[in-house]
Amino acid sequence: MAEGSVVRIRMYNVGFGDCFLVTVPTRGRPRRILFDCGSIKKAEKHSIDDVVARLVQDCPGEDGKPAIDVVVATHRHRDHVSGFELAEWSGVTVGEVWMPWTEDPADPDAQAVRTGHAKLAAALDASLQLKLKAAPDERLKGMALAVQNALTNEGAMRTLHDGFNGNPVRRYMPLKDQARLTFETPVLPGVKISVLGPSRDLDVIRDMNPPKGKSYLCLGDSLDVRGEPPSPFDDSWKIEGDAPADLSADDRKKLRAQGDPDAAVVASLDSAVNGTSLMLVLQVGATHFLFPGDAQWGTWQAAMRNPEARDLLSATRFYKVGHHGSHNATPREFVDEIIHGKGMRGMISTNPVASWPGIPRAPLLAQLTGHNVALARSDQSAEADPAVFHVGEDGLYVDVEIEIADPPADPPVDPPKDGATVTR
Amino acid sequence: MAERLQDPHAIRPPSRRPLKVFATDPMAGRTAGNRITVDVENEDPKPGPRGDRVAVIDYDGAHDCFYQQVDLNTPAILMQGGLEPAEADPRFHQQMVYAVATRTLENFDRALGRWQSFQTREYDRLRLFPHAFHGANAFYSRELNGVLFGYFRADKENFGRNLPGQLVYTCLAHDIIVHEVTHAVVDRLRRHFLEPTNEDVLAFHEGFADIVALFQHFTFPELLRDAIQSSGTTLDTPGPMADLARQFGEATGMGQALRSAIGRKELVLGPSVMEPHERGSILVAAVFDGFFLAYQRRIRDLIRIATRGSGVLPKGDLHPDLIGRIAGEASATAQSILGMCIRAFDYLAPVDVTFSDYLRAMMTADYEMSHSDPLGLRESMIEGFRRRRIFAEDVASAAEESLLWPAPVNAPQIPVDSEQAILVYLMRTATNFGRPRMRKLDYEKGFIVDQDGEEVPGLTEDVAKALHRYASDHRDPLQLHPKLPIQVQGFHSVFRVAPSGRLVIELVAQFVQTDKTAIDALGGIPLRGGTTVVAAADGTIRYIIAKPIHLGGEQSVRDQAEARIRRQLGYLDIADALDPETSFMDDEGLKTRMKTRADFAKLHFR
Repeated sequence: MAEGSVVRIRMYNVGFGDCFLVTVPTRGRPRRILFDCGSIKKAEKHSIDDVVARLVQDCPGEDGKPAIDVVVATHRHRDHVSGFELAEWSGVTVGEVWMPWTEDPADPDAQAVRTGHAKLAAALDASLQLKLKAAPDERLKGMALAVQNALTNEGAMRTLHDGFNGNPVRRYMPLKDQARLTFETPVLPGVKISVLGPSRDLDVIRDMNPPKGKSYLCLGDSLDVRGEPPSPFDDSWKIEGDAPADLSADDRKKLRAQGDPDAAVVASLDSAVNGTSLMLVLQVGATHFLFPGDAQWGTWQAAMRNPEARDLLSATRFYKVGHHGSHNATPREFVDEIIHGKGMRGMISTNPVASWPGIPRAPLLAQLTGHNVALARSDQSAEADPAVFHVGEDGLYVDVEIEIADPPADPPVDPPKDGATVTR
Repeated sequence: MAERLQDPHAIRPPSRRPLKVFATDPMAGRTAGNRITVDVENEDPKPGPRGDRVAVIDYDGAHDCFYQQVDLNTPAILMQGGLEPAEADPRFHQQMVYAVATRTLENFDRALGRWQSFQTREYDRLRLFPHAFHGANAFYSRELNGVLFGYFRADKENFGRNLPGQLVYTCLAHDIIVHEVTHAVVDRLRRHFLEPTNEDVLAFHEGFADIVALFQHFTFPELLRDAIQSSGTTLDTPGPMADLARQFGEATGMGQALRSAIGRKELVLGPSVMEPHERGSILVAAVFDGFFLAYQRRIRDLIRIATRGSGVLPKGDLHPDLIGRIAGEASATAQSILGMCIRAFDYLAPVDVTFSDYLRAMMTADYEMSHSDPLGLRESMIEGFRRRRIFAEDVASAAEESLLWPAPVNAPQIPVDSEQAILVYLMRTATNFGRPRMRKLDYEKGFIVDQDGEEVPGLTEDVAKALHRYASDHRDPLQLHPKLPIQVQGFHSVFRVAPSGRLVIELVAQFVQTDKTAIDALGGIPLRGGTTVVAAADGTIRYIIAKPIHLGGEQSVRDQAEARIRRQLGYLDIADALDPETSFMDDEGLKTRMKTRADFAKLHFR
């Protein structure tokens, strides 16, 4: 394969999390895009520190310092950003940092979404830690882990917002007044970028603050100082002695067991944060690469219903499987009706967590394979088809190279460095 | 009666008992129309109150205690027509829950032409728990044969119309009581409507409960007066009346979503509206729009009289007499719409309901009561549904004639004469209607348990056997599967007086068939087919309303069966995608996920 006509995607084995480095050839030098860097459960042989060390090594810049043209943080879940806590990043030169609009520090809607999530995560965490202490079980552990994933990750977010070398431009996407899906940037000559999510639609914003979460917080506020439910009436109304009405002990037990909504609230928080995922299609020449982050039903639906976005989806040659292979991040319609599997490549970064038995979802992976998508799994890289995927350094990463159809003619050799303007 | 035979001068007890309630909730307490008196059937309730079919049990699960209970027959209470509204007195809470629930049931009794019983093997009444748990939630539980109301402290920041930190009782909100009791009634009428086999099923349960709450609310003329006065000269826009409708659940933080579509014309039914509450709110809005059209039609003459034909109302306040007359018309229209919405139930198949079915059932039910449409109710309702893009499926046009269920040709009669059990049942229900204390199901004759081991409410073994013989002999015309077992899922006789004075007697039988082979893959909800048969008193069939499951029969039956299965699978996908918990489910969880999703405790917590 001729140098200069393939895009290489490297999936690092972070355990449970995401870290993908995309290298795009241009005439001057290769351009690099990093999608996420995080983990909430380490891989068998490597830690996130090992991954970051290798990643920095993989990105030599022209001045000898490591350099990445674009860093994308798809959403703020720990398993996508925790790696940015590490000190190494201050020495990495970065051209631009892309985040979903919900990360914009100056946008009041975004602020409300973030505060809502943080408050809910903190309240759930407090409640679950107490319950875990009292009676630890696998279900509670799974819930606690999902909540920790959503707790604010100050260190990592500081790097993304204020860190890196080279004072990179921050973009929050999509722009408020962005009329078209697709834009280009001088730091990635010859690459068209389409933003498929998250939406700024008012209904979507409402869903980002799940009603279940609001009710839950309200319930927490309702407790008295000792953490007990308030009494609806003063004690003089209570009947001492025999029960006045016919109510069996069994019924009383059932009535006492009401009102533990934690599991549903945890799931809705997780889904809400995933729902802020930046969903991007990169187009190099005529070849399309789909990075949906952990986008959920709402974003996918909007994309599949928009004819322009649907065309982009159907042109996908490479698919980063959403949300570590969970049920809700890859719609059946996308697999069954939109993609043309033949020659398509997919990568899934995952690592089973005992308390989340549904992730990755085996039938989904089988369905993708059934549609002729060649798949590599970060935790089982040895099983990936060696004719398509290349496994490096004891399973620390897996590569796939994808040939570009109609490569762009003569991209500029050296773009202007102040390239903050967006060409549309 | 018996007392009068013994003592010709005995004072007859009144047939109705007045009780005081909040017309909306305590937060609206200071407005004039909010503290109202409703009257309910005087059934001589025991302390609790514990009536013939509902029992209020004030057990607090969060504190494991009982509260003092009200005795409505205490002279001091009788003399003032029920306890005065008081938030701090649990006995008023019990009175209000009892009064509003009873009134709701009476609305069903009247519209359906039969007495709604809540008797089961285990419990003989519907149990109402006004302070069951701590939480901003209230829900019906089939398992407990009851409705559980929560209480909580209002948010210190977002307290809405409450005071910050104030205690809020869901059992003091009129509409929440009606909504939850309606869920209980619907679950008795159609057990399988809690099985989400398509996107409309749960939305229907929610939307219908809300329709009943809304229109029962609108039958209080006191409440409507304010809304009408504040409309001023713009009686032709639903503004203030829509606001009144939307107040539901404001104080409790519950339910606002359900009526949010009222007054917002742009919200219509479409494939992206899938969440049960949102979808249900479109159904509510369609019925509200239909109501408003009918109401406008009905007050046109009053406006003409008041404006001497100009139709333009003068600026300033309307004359109180005019408001009184308009409020009366609005509340009478609400009562008619409520009756129409409830009567539709007898014309629904036992499984897999859709909004389209409901529209057609509503049209058919009303047509059977009155062939002409003097008040334009049906016409208004068709228009209301059309505006919200709820269309009848598989019909030639949106005209009324096309929407009626088709009348079957040469359908096999229900053997009223030859089957002794049916005849006895018919006579017993006929004599019992209007005789409150003779309604207990005769359990010595055995009760019926369906394929899932659940009791079929209100059905005795001998009647079920007779109907089973009938259905087994006529599988084809009833569009039943030739091999699958038939479950008799319900049998009622219906006695209604039409506006013309005609007595309408109907027999309604439901048959269900179940195919459990793919139950795990379908998330715990099997494939079901079912047929509702509506017959005249002599057994002549009027309607056969079927949801077939038979893939080998006549072309039209097969097509329907195939389409239904496809739709069930399609909805399974959508429900999976919409539920954030899907991703975290293990194999066992996946096997029952559709059942779990229909749990009201979860569904109502939002």
